[in-house]
Amino acid sequence: MYKTAMLTKDLVAASSKPLLLSILADGESYGYEIIQKVRELSGGEIEWSDGMLYPVLHRLERDGLIESEWKKSDTGRERKYYFINSGGRKALKSERQQWLAVHNTLGKLWKIKPALT
Amino acid sequence: MENQTRFDLNAAIETWRNELAAQPNLASDDRRELETHLRDALASFQQRGLNDEESFWLARRRVGQPRQLGEEFVKADLAKAWRERIFWMALGIIVFWELTQILTFAAGITLYYLFPSLHELYIKSGFWPTDAVVLIIGIGLARGSYAQSMKLMWFLKNRFHLVSFVVILALLLSLTQTEFARESFVLNGHHPSVVTWAWAPWLENVGYFLSVYLAHIVAPLIFLVLFFPTHNWKTPRHA
Repeated sequence: MYKTAMLTKDLVAASSKPLLLSILADGESYGYEIIQKVRELSGGEIEWSDGMLYPVLHRLERDGLIESEWKKSDTGRERKYYFINSGGRKALKSERQQWLAVHNTLGKLWKIKPALT
Repeated sequence: MENQTRFDLNAAIETWRNELAAQPNLASDDRRELETHLRDALASFQQRGLNDEESFWLARRRVGQPRQLGEEFVKADLAKAWRERIFWMALGIIVFWELTQILTFAAGITLYYLFPSLHELYIKSGFWPTDAVVLIIGIGLARGSYAQSMKLMWFLKNRFHLVSFVVILALLLSLTQTEFARESFVLNGHHPSVVTWAWAPWLENVGYFLSVYLAHIVAPLIFLVLFFPTHNWKTPRHA
């Protein structure tokens, strides 16, 4: 389903939650914009298939980490905007600790400068 | 000059929307969200100088195949998928029951006045011909045999219309059970829409109350309130 071999399917699935929560922690956004942002930030290495994003967003919403609302954008087009809530911020904090733990451990093994926590 | 058909962007989007609507697992809110995505992708390709047709096909590819989308959405929310399935199953049962009762009533009266001899036979048959007709039409509908005439059934496309349709049927059905209808149309000792009671008269009083007040109005309404997906109210009509 995912177009590139840059990230395995498992890794895409695991990383989508912290990525989405982090993007939304920066401000509300909608599906198309989120995909663009991920593509841009990852330099094209993380390529989500567009339609697959929504089930993930809906699951986060069901888990009470984000909320959504239909709103008119500046161009007058109506879009479904997602925004993070306090539950989501808490979950993001815990995700961050876990990913940094993995990152730092691998970094030491691979002799890469550890990320700043 | 070659006979080239012009690409109609609006028609293409309409077709795509119908394909998406054919996916039973995609709620209308999901479909509208995907449509906004398609339109965003479309606009970005157009801005890069591609023509309508190229932009549409690329955007469509981006969003994904309708069938695959349906499958992915279902994996993500099994509970919702089952809610949808139960909604359609229960709706099917209610509509089947309402239609057979109303048609039995109508057929009973028609036959009584036009073909009294057939009426006698109809009552002896236990009214199964009406059930069979509704059942055959229902099976045909479920198998998509009437795909061509589906356009006429615009009321099936929108859940609000669908629910209104069921409520109207329920009201119509309760009319056939009023005292007036019962007294006016007791034919050969049978009320046309009373199917089982002909064999079990002692059930009649209990059955009358149940059928008028519970089954006809209360049960369908409870069902609709329980299963009507509330989040759809917030969805705009068009993306």
